[in-house]
Amino acid sequence: MGDIIEMNGIVKIFPPNLVALDDVSVTFREGEIHAIVGENGAGKTTLMKILYGMQPADSGEIILRGEKVKFSDPGEAIASGIGMVHQEILLIPEYSVWENVVLGNEPVKFLDHLDSKKAREQVKAKIKEFHFNLDPDTKVADISVAARQKVEILKLLFRNVSVLIMDEPTSVLTPQEIPQLFSELKRLRDNGHTIMFISHHLDEVLDLSDRITVLRKGKKIGTIEAREATKTGLAQMMVGRKVIFESIRKAQKPGDILFEISNLNYTDADKKPRLQNIHLQVRAGEIVGIAGVEGNGQLELVNVIMGLIEPQSGTISAMGQDVIPQSILEKRKKIAFVSQDRGNMSACLPARITENVIMTHHRLNPRFTSLGGKVLNFKQANQFTLEVQEIFDVQMTSGETLFRSLSGGNQQKVILGRELLLDAPFILLDQPTRGLDVGSIEYVHKQITTMRSKQRGILLISADLEELFRLTDRLIVMHRGRIVADLVTDKTNITEVGYLMLEGMTYEA
Amino acid sequence: MKIVIGLINGMLTAATPILLAALGGSMTYYAGIFNIAMEGMMLSGAFFAVLGSYYFHSWLVGILFAILGAILMALIFVLFAVVLKMDEFITGIGLNLLSLGLTTYMLRQIFKVKGAFSSLEIVPIPKIDIPLIKDIPIIGDVISGQNLIVYLTVLAVIIVHYLVFKTRFGLRLRAAGYNRTCLDTSGVSANRIRIISLLICGILCGLAGAFLSLGYVTVFTEGMSAGKGWISLAAVILVSGSPKGIALISLLFGFTDGLGLFMQRTMPPQFTSMVPYIATLIALFVYSIRLKKKQKIIGA
Amino acid sequence: MKRKILINLVGILLAFILGALVMAIQGKDPIEAYYRLFEYSLGTPNKIAYTLNKSVPLVLTGLSATVAFASGPVNLGQPGQLLMGALFATVGGLYINLPPGLLIPLLLILSMLGGALWSGVAALLKHLFNMNEFITTLMLNMIADYLTLWAISYPFFEKNANHPQTPLINQNGWMPEWGSFSSNVIVMLLAFGIIWFIVNRTTSGYEWRISGQNSLFSRLGGVNVKKNYLAVMLLTGALAGLAGGLIIMAGPHRFIKDIGANYAWDGVMIAMVANTGVILTLVFGLFFAILQTGALGMELQVQVPRELIKVLQAVIVLIVVAGRGYFESLFALLEARRKMRGRTS
Repeated sequence: MGDIIEMNGIVKIFPPNLVALDDVSVTFREGEIHAIVGENGAGKTTLMKILYGMQPADSGEIILRGEKVKFSDPGEAIASGIGMVHQEILLIPEYSVWENVVLGNEPVKFLDHLDSKKAREQVKAKIKEFHFNLDPDTKVADISVAARQKVEILKLLFRNVSVLIMDEPTSVLTPQEIPQLFSELKRLRDNGHTIMFISHHLDEVLDLSDRITVLRKGKKIGTIEAREATKTGLAQMMVGRKVIFESIRKAQKPGDILFEISNLNYTDADKKPRLQNIHLQVRAGEIVGIAGVEGNGQLELVNVIMGLIEPQSGTISAMGQDVIPQSILEKRKKIAFVSQDRGNMSACLPARITENVIMTHHRLNPRFTSLGGKVLNFKQANQFTLEVQEIFDVQMTSGETLFRSLSGGNQQKVILGRELLLDAPFILLDQPTRGLDVGSIEYVHKQITTMRSKQRGILLISADLEELFRLTDRLIVMHRGRIVADLVTDKTNITEVGYLMLEGMTYEA
Repeated sequence: MKIVIGLINGMLTAATPILLAALGGSMTYYAGIFNIAMEGMMLSGAFFAVLGSYYFHSWLVGILFAILGAILMALIFVLFAVVLKMDEFITGIGLNLLSLGLTTYMLRQIFKVKGAFSSLEIVPIPKIDIPLIKDIPIIGDVISGQNLIVYLTVLAVIIVHYLVFKTRFGLRLRAAGYNRTCLDTSGVSANRIRIISLLICGILCGLAGAFLSLGYVTVFTEGMSAGKGWISLAAVILVSGSPKGIALISLLFGFTDGLGLFMQRTMPPQFTSMVPYIATLIALFVYSIRLKKKQKIIGA
Repeated sequence: MKRKILINLVGILLAFILGALVMAIQGKDPIEAYYRLFEYSLGTPNKIAYTLNKSVPLVLTGLSATVAFASGPVNLGQPGQLLMGALFATVGGLYINLPPGLLIPLLLILSMLGGALWSGVAALLKHLFNMNEFITTLMLNMIADYLTLWAISYPFFEKNANHPQTPLINQNGWMPEWGSFSSNVIVMLLAFGIIWFIVNRTTSGYEWRISGQNSLFSRLGGVNVKKNYLAVMLLTGALAGLAGGLIIMAGPHRFIKDIGANYAWDGVMIAMVANTGVILTLVFGLFFAILQTGALGMELQVQVPRELIKVLQAVIVLIVVAGRGYFESLFALLEARRKMRGRTS
């Protein structure tokens, strides 16, 4: 096996203050599965995007089959046989499978007329060649995430790509879908394809790859043979210290019911039922987790609770009051909320930090206004920013700087600070650690458990099963808009929950 | 009968510039560009049409100039919105103002007049009589004898429809609108597609402008596009870009315009002049009601 | 802050250089032309007073657009709202007789009502039927154009006038003048001060700004977005209406055909180049007034058509706005590199 690609001394800077890659050099061999591992923000994806021509490197060189290359866009990379499947799947849902596959390589007839017959046949042939179970005529919007991923791979194979970059392909799959993907990837490798596999799940990496390169904070730590690697060894390389994967809850008796949803139904504009007959309760001093593959009703549940969409029937009560008819401001007296979508729902990125910190407080706490709520009290607002900075250990220069200049972890700390200091009895957390580095995740987890010991009721929605098992008292599994299980965390396991997430039932049933 | 024929001809006259500009808007709509510069492109087209026709005594040169003038505006849009990545909305507004300023300035500088320029030396775009059909009563009066641009407009509807839905370019064009990154990673530069769509929009708006100043009159008036570009934008939004829908809705706007002229016998002209704008509001209202019924998640 | 000023200045300079090139091609002396431009608008106290007077509708419509854009609503209806404000003030001035101390404030309020009424129509259409104000305000502009033309052609037409116009309004409703200095400038500065305070110091202003930048976030934060939308539309309509009223009360004292045409898009243009900054709106409003007043001097002395200024204004908008984005990313990149170098060494 010879070397196929060499990346030498790659440097990438993101203004204003992020050095994403700091002199990284990696060599890839032909016909291997090469894993790139590291925490979030370690620079894995950036490195691959540079190879793929999606982002220019600030310095460094790429050598492909002995020749120096520089791709200014993905088209050039594909033409040289390098393709990438992105974490967020880049297909056009409105187009059919074959349209997506041929896009950019379409066969045409006279007058630029699209030769759809020929295109469909070509796609069909490729599907057969690689044993993919796909129908070329279905709309991509109507197929599962795993199938979409296959379409992406197919799209690249259609362009005769020999090097395949997979950016966290398993993050959108259920535990049961992963083995199939892996066997397909292994088959591709055995056919001579080179695969680069980005992940931070060490079990997968050890299972799938031949060699592993570890990145940490934009620096390369090392490349090792997979058969010589161990999980703890890799983890240590990734974070630079030992990490423990275990529950951090202490036993505690839950209190009264703070939050209750009963018989909730929501059908969307296309008449698709999104939430069906939802019942759930959260008690004081209890963390209830919601597990499920993304798109099984979690988003709708959050939106209904927060009042962004109106359910057709059912009640949601917080502190004994039905909150559905209440204004959002009224709800916010009882509900603290951290969204998974920081930039759109939890913060105003172009505004100053202080302006972000006082949101909601400015209406609920008379401390921040004078003249009967009409005029803002900036002295108090600035003071409050300092308090949040202090209590939640935020790294920032001043409340006057823009929110977007903070790092992701610090942004989340500011948001948590704002929400938790509302002193609302019920806390709704929607993927609060998404996209954060390990240090910040640990910090957020600590805050969540602190709130639990303060007798708050917490509903935690997460796609990360490890996180749920680490934090929750009870686990609710959602599948196609229904609650299919309400389990005590200590009496279940990841395999069972994974199966429920995928199938909506346990194996026995 | 005369009245009906008059109404239909009035409708076609009023609908033609809106339809052409809206077809241009349709191209950029599918490419995912928030293009509000049709007004400016049309105005620039109208001015250059008069310029070309006046100096070369040829309506054909007039049309060519109109297209070039509108393409010039499209290129400025490309420079700011695509190359310099400026906000498309601001670019559009700036471009409309620039077009208004430039045409007014050139009117003054080249023709030495204020307000309007008209001359016998400006050659209008001819009407086309279709042999045989022109002799059929009634139908002949409508189908034959229309301005050349009217026939070109019919052709343009067909071409745009074919381009968007039947060709490789169309597949890429719509892909650019749905997801730019997806198209880029498929090896097709989304920016190239966006630029082409803007240039086509320029051509169509140029034709619209030529029709305004060389169609039934031979005059250029300051700001003579008079909101037609905005109405065409409304048309594009109302039918989500569909060329067929644009044709229908433009005819509807044209009809109300003709109706307005017809109503002048019974009410002051200021009110009948409002008709197309009120019709646009009513169309938007109907659209909003329809949209409200199938409203989705309320997002940002 | 310094950088912001620099970017604006560079943009204006570039636009001026472009204008100079155009003039040079036509054999005109650009330096002389620009000298005349500023001399004509700022050369004597009288000229300055005239320029200030001219800036009133620019700044007010500019503030209207700035507050709207900063808060979210794309109110492009300043031209129509201005006309309606002018019409309301005119009609009030034609039929109401009160001493100046009462009539002037009353007419100002009427003009604001007229503008707010017109923006209120758009706001209501959005509120009730979710019709986008961006197109409705544009259509309402055209409708206001014809509506006011009708009003001054028929019901309020001055008999025997040879083009559409109203009679003079009650002299008690004329804005007082001291020499060439008109008191409408005071009204403008007052309005500017109030707007600055509302936007930067009040709870509502805070909510408007945040909603303008991220409406969903402020909604989730408990902000009543709909109510704020209505308030912003009414306030910005009132500002444009006030501009219209002041044009009548400090200008021809009657409604003449095409009276608002000169200000049609100026407010929007100023707001765009001021990038939602209230103070910058005042600065650019004054600057554009200098250009527009001085244009005549350029035309009289150097024979450069004053319409060139319209081109110049549009070019300034495009270059300053484009430059802002371009320079900001450039500065960010340079800063990041410097930090990186500082770290490695």
